[in-house]
Amino acid sequence: MKRSILKSIVLLLLCCTSSLFAQTRQINGVVSDNLGEALPGVSITVKGTSEGMITSVDGKYSLQVNSANDVLVFSYIGYEAQNLKVGNQSVINVTLSESTASLEEVVVVGYGTQKKSQLTGAISTVKAADIKDLPIANAQQALQGRVAGVDVMQAGSKPGSEPRVIIRGRRSPNASSDPLYVLDGIPLSGGIGDINPNDIQSMEVLKDASATAIYGARGANGVVLITSRRGSKKDGKPTIFYDSYYGVTQALNTMNFMNGPQFSATKREAYRVRNSNGTLGGFQPDNIVFTDVELDGIAKGRSFDYIDALLRTGNIQNHSFGIAGGDEKTTYYMSLNYFKDNGIVYNQDYNRNVLRVNLDHQLTKNISMGMSTFINYSIRNGEGFNPLGGAMAENPLGVPFNDDGSLNFLPTEDGLRSNPLSEIVDGAYIDRRKTNRMFSGLYAEAKIIEGLTYRFNFGPDFTVNKRDVFQGTFTNARRLAPPRASTDNVNSFNYTIENILNYTKSIGKHNFNLTGVQSFQRNNFETNGVTVQDIPSETQQFYNFGNAAIIEGVRSDLIQRSILSYMGRVNYGFNDKYLLTATLRADGASQFGDNTKWGYFPSVAVAWNLSSEEFMQSISSIDLAKLRVSYGSTGNQAIQPYQTQGLLSRSVYNFGDNAVFGYGPNTIGNPDLQWETSRTLNLGLDFSMFRGRFTGSIEYYDVTTSDLLLRRNLPPSIGFTEVTTNVGATRNNGIEGTFSTVNMDNRRGFKWSTDFQFFINKEQFVDLPNGDDVGNNWYIGQPLSVIFDYKKIGIWQANEFEEARSFGSEVGEIKIQDTDGDGKFTAADRVVQGSGVPKFSGGVTNRFKLGNFDMSFFVYARLGQTIRSNFHTSNNSLFGRYNNIETDYWTPENPTNVSPRPNQNQERPIWNSSMNIFDGSFVKVRNINFGYRFTPETAKKLGMESLRLYSSIQQPFIFSSFISEHNGIDPETDIDASLGGNVSPAAWTATIGVNLTF
Amino acid sequence: MKNLINNILKKTARLIKFALIPGAVMFSSQSCDNPLEEVVVSNLSNSYINTPKGFNDAVSAAYGYLRTYYAQEIGMSMSQLGTDTYTNGADGSYKRYNFYNGELNGRDNWVRTLWREFYKGINTCNAVIDRGTEIKGLSPAALASGVAQAKALRALYYFTLVQHFGDLDLRLSETNGPITEITRTTESAVYAQIIKDFNEAYPALPKRTGQWGRMDQMAVDGFLLKVFITKATRPFGSVADFATAETHGKKVINSYDRSLVSDYAKLFELGNDQNSEAVFSVQFSYDLLSAGGFGNRWHLYYLMEYDTQAGMSRVLEVGRPWKRLRPTNYTYNQVMVNRSVDSRYDKSFRKVYKATRAGTFPTFLDKSKATITVAVGDTAIFMPGFEMSEAERAKRPYQVYTPSMYNEKQFETLSKFLDPLRASINEVQGGRDFVLIRLADVHLMVAECLIKQGKQAEAVTHINLVRRRAAFSGKAAQMEITTAQATMEFLYDERARELLGEGHRWTDLKRWGNLVERVKLYNPEASANIKDMHNLRPVPDEQIDLVDGGNTAFPQNPGY
Repeated sequence: MKRSILKSIVLLLLCCTSSLFAQTRQINGVVSDNLGEALPGVSITVKGTSEGMITSVDGKYSLQVNSANDVLVFSYIGYEAQNLKVGNQSVINVTLSESTASLEEVVVVGYGTQKKSQLTGAISTVKAADIKDLPIANAQQALQGRVAGVDVMQAGSKPGSEPRVIIRGRRSPNASSDPLYVLDGIPLSGGIGDINPNDIQSMEVLKDASATAIYGARGANGVVLITSRRGSKKDGKPTIFYDSYYGVTQALNTMNFMNGPQFSATKREAYRVRNSNGTLGGFQPDNIVFTDVELDGIAKGRSFDYIDALLRTGNIQNHSFGIAGGDEKTTYYMSLNYFKDNGIVYNQDYNRNVLRVNLDHQLTKNISMGMSTFINYSIRNGEGFNPLGGAMAENPLGVPFNDDGSLNFLPTEDGLRSNPLSEIVDGAYIDRRKTNRMFSGLYAEAKIIEGLTYRFNFGPDFTVNKRDVFQGTFTNARRLAPPRASTDNVNSFNYTIENILNYTKSIGKHNFNLTGVQSFQRNNFETNGVTVQDIPSETQQFYNFGNAAIIEGVRSDLIQRSILSYMGRVNYGFNDKYLLTATLRADGASQFGDNTKWGYFPSVAVAWNLSSEEFMQSISSIDLAKLRVSYGSTGNQAIQPYQTQGLLSRSVYNFGDNAVFGYGPNTIGNPDLQWETSRTLNLGLDFSMFRGRFTGSIEYYDVTTSDLLLRRNLPPSIGFTEVTTNVGATRNNGIEGTFSTVNMDNRRGFKWSTDFQFFINKEQFVDLPNGDDVGNNWYIGQPLSVIFDYKKIGIWQANEFEEARSFGSEVGEIKIQDTDGDGKFTAADRVVQGSGVPKFSGGVTNRFKLGNFDMSFFVYARLGQTIRSNFHTSNNSLFGRYNNIETDYWTPENPTNVSPRPNQNQERPIWNSSMNIFDGSFVKVRNINFGYRFTPETAKKLGMESLRLYSSIQQPFIFSSFISEHNGIDPETDIDASLGGNVSPAAWTATIGVNLTF
Repeated sequence: MKNLINNILKKTARLIKFALIPGAVMFSSQSCDNPLEEVVVSNLSNSYINTPKGFNDAVSAAYGYLRTYYAQEIGMSMSQLGTDTYTNGADGSYKRYNFYNGELNGRDNWVRTLWREFYKGINTCNAVIDRGTEIKGLSPAALASGVAQAKALRALYYFTLVQHFGDLDLRLSETNGPITEITRTTESAVYAQIIKDFNEAYPALPKRTGQWGRMDQMAVDGFLLKVFITKATRPFGSVADFATAETHGKKVINSYDRSLVSDYAKLFELGNDQNSEAVFSVQFSYDLLSAGGFGNRWHLYYLMEYDTQAGMSRVLEVGRPWKRLRPTNYTYNQVMVNRSVDSRYDKSFRKVYKATRAGTFPTFLDKSKATITVAVGDTAIFMPGFEMSEAERAKRPYQVYTPSMYNEKQFETLSKFLDPLRASINEVQGGRDFVLIRLADVHLMVAECLIKQGKQAEAVTHINLVRRRAAFSGKAAQMEITTAQATMEFLYDERARELLGEGHRWTDLKRWGNLVERVKLYNPEASANIKDMHNLRPVPDEQIDLVDGGNTAFPQNPGY
């Protein structure tokens, strides 16, 4: 190592000195393609310098060189680059051959790999290169806005929270809509948040039935294949790499709450005199309206911002250190990852530590084996606890600190409102989850005869997970009561066993590939927990339940399920022009009834490489055009087990002093439960034009899902409120597109490229057992969850006194729409007011490169969805007790139609659910990134192979009417449209990072 | 060729052997032959009820649902708010039950909860009744006792539901699958079933239960008294129902071991839940582990906001003030009168609050002085219940709150349910039993039956029994009323006095047919909106939305 550095430095010095004495001379030439046609616009640079130019329209160039040792680099998009040493030539004519890289690119598919040109299904890829240079916290983030048809939603900025991923819309209201994640060939049961994103080589998103059918059982929601990095055999020399970033995080200033004077004005309004005839009178005197502390606060002009006091500048850091290499027989990849996110709210942080070891070994000539293993240890604080909720509600007139500077536990007389600052006193409130996970994908593969391989996969996945909660005496949860503590343990062991046979054969122009799989997966999920109160000393936290005076609850549970599958697949290609894939899969799942356990899922796909046809050869602008059609079915079994059987629940009672535990009917079993099936038609076009300057694919899909696993609500008078059944059908159809263009690539080394993707999906119910189902909130032609509620049309104004009364309302209260016009507000007045499903979502990444500098920015948009803001429900209660967001509320002097009149006699305004519905559209600048890659020579000088420094700003801007017009927070939330009332606010992050390899 | 095939087979077999080793280990650790068989381990399946223990556990479960309504905020809202004796305090999300405004509709959480939970209770009773024909290992007597308890509980659940909702879904067998074809059964048919259930339960129940809190013949007599006296006032009822009610009431009084507790105050003493007057009570426990999330919460609702007052802080001895319920002026001025003779004012309300903090504090409501200076344990607030002159108040070293100062936060606290034995100051789950029937209630109902039948003279004896007990010592004679005084009007006040805040008032007013009239008269917050339609609660929207045919098949109650 040391020697090679030394060598290279010496070499470098020699080069420099030699060039000093060299003479400048002119080189001329013509660049053409294999057919002899001149190529204009080819860039030519002198390696290691910034000198360069591009060829003219007739393919000619001329430039100056200093030495015979200079190397010219000829590069052109869509062609293989060529390096030529100048020597003593003065005319250098070059023939560039078309690059086959993009066509020969290999894509990971289910149970194997395929050349991209041979694909028949709808598959999108995110490569390590797309994400490696960016500071991303988890694998899901890498998909957001980069893969068409994939909706990635992250609510708030809480450290350790994982975004939700939905591929091509939801198909089923109850069964899970999460995609299946497959890590190094093994389907995962747990999440993917434990994976170090730096270890990811590529992520393939399988979207249509042809691609996912191989995972038939769980393919209905799409499949994400994650492939981790492995060592390379090439030269036996190890590569050591270190990727790191550090950033600071601050809240985007989006939370505007009332200050002292605004709060007291609101409270005065809330206590307005109501005359005996129902009209509003004047204010009551302050000494009636306000308590002593409030009066004191008003007199002294006190106004304390608790939210500000609970927010801090967060920081985020990630260090990934590893080594990869190998020889003919063995390759290895090992990495260590440390990730720490200290959130912008005190008490919220997340730390992830991952060790990864990937090994491959050629045991004999025909047998290889290996493993990919990660061991994860993570600690998360503040998962279920957010002190901000209390801060948002806290009366700004209170006294947060005593005269001696200590915290005043009750800042006002309100016994419910303890000091939000006391929540973040060290040790007062602990909510910590520690997770240990070990996942391993082990395989052995044997070549039996030429073309036939057998592979055995075994994937154990252990998770041990412990959640501890401690609530001290001086917290809002306890409010001076003795401390409370709980521990919940989750112990899960999942494993997958697979036997795979694969046979490849070519006969002339006919290519065959046959795959057979037998797969068994078992999940075991054990939990236990205990909750106690009255621990003698707060310092004992959750470490001595035996000392607690009161046992509040103990619990444990076991959930088991298994899936057994058999699968066969045929790939056939003729002359690389006509491609066919046919798949059949049989899946049995333990969750279903004895007679309905098995489901059968066939699919077929054909593709036609148009561009390989003779008649297309003449159209030189088209490099590739491939049409794909697929149709097939996939299943979904993602429901909780034990639903085929009627189960009992405990209800506790006592007779005198004798406690008895009773058990009565709790759920109705449905012994006929079976697979939910999705049938997908997919039409796709892949293209590449102008020698790769414009590439992309467009997909149209139509998915009909029937036998929905619906948790159907039942009329409660039968003693049950729901049952899981197979009824109804949904449809998702839409268009998605991914495009990449190279907009500019000039001789000065300036390159500008753009990736654009969009996704338009229509999600709807097409069949329900009894048509529109108001009780379940399901409507034919509407998305799977809609906001169905009373519609606010304004505020009752003073001149509407009588009319308001006739509706049972008062002036200043919310006026809702009397939809059926019967002169009353009844359940029949509710209307559908949108859903969380966006009408359009998409992302644009622009990349610029000038010399060694690169820059990119990524804009993400999600438009047309409606959200239900629980942030408003919680913080716009207008009754003079809790603090409120700034809002334009009605008073006799301010006849607004925005918010109703403050009223002390209500915990929230009447019909308040109607004023929490907003347009949730947003456009976010997700990321602006600047980088500088040192030249290999400079890197070598520094003893490295490569070195890149970068700086990035994450989420600097959010554009949304919800924020700008309605005093809302970050509107990004789950597709179910419910924006949490107690979220950590959106944040922006400024990061610096380094990628280096030795 | 042969060699090749042999080679393949050999290699394959060897591979499969190796491959199956880990697989075999995994499979063998599963004790079932079929890897897809679903075995319920941590839960109990429905067939558990067919075992002797399971049957008895189902009977216990049938009791458990009583706790979902009684002694909870839902029961408080639906039995005490919006009456003549109580109106809303400062806090709470369910003031709609006092305001009778547009928010009291089919989406309301309480109507939904009552409907859901009691129907779950009914289904549990139905499961017991359906299985009660034969269970191996249980004697016919044990089976009959379980079925009888389930029938009595089913009748009780239906009785509560029918009073609030009118026509119901009358469901008499266990639900085994989804049912959505449902219509409303008339109120009279529901009453007939309630009576039938109680009557069928009666012979199989013990006269007095050995286990406090279980159904017995005495409890059934008590409930039949209530069912018949209520049915008598319904359109399908008759005067004969009063006579039947009277018979059952008199059986409670004469045939069992009940007697009035000598001191009215002792009735509500902590630790005296199993007193000689209690006929049937819903059971609660201080043990959080066996409370199952349901404690008696009524200690929260009647308590005024004392903890913010001069010299005070929140203490377990007094309680956690949720200030949901505040007495009306009718309660202060018309019910709780004759306070020098009748002890029930003194014994129902908390009059003194002792300082919990030492120091000098600015006064709050009593502005006869600017500050008070107290030591811990000194009187901080005194509430005499009458107006006291400013000069007189100024002499006292504590604040004196008089009725003219009362507001939504400071008012007289009903002390019957306060519960300082709770685990901690903010613990909402109390452990006091919640009495559904006590002997004084029975006496007053019997008197009501007698008055309705024109037997005022006999009614007087029952009323006077209750009244004499309430007298200050030596003043019993002054409490007695004459035959001429034994009117329904007198009973309206007397029941308010004796049973103030105990959860009977809304159904009492409904039974008397004067809910609207008296609420308009005495409850200013409720008077503006209350109408005849409010004699029934709205049926939960979800019930209507989820049955086949919606509102046509299962119509909402008129007006909602």
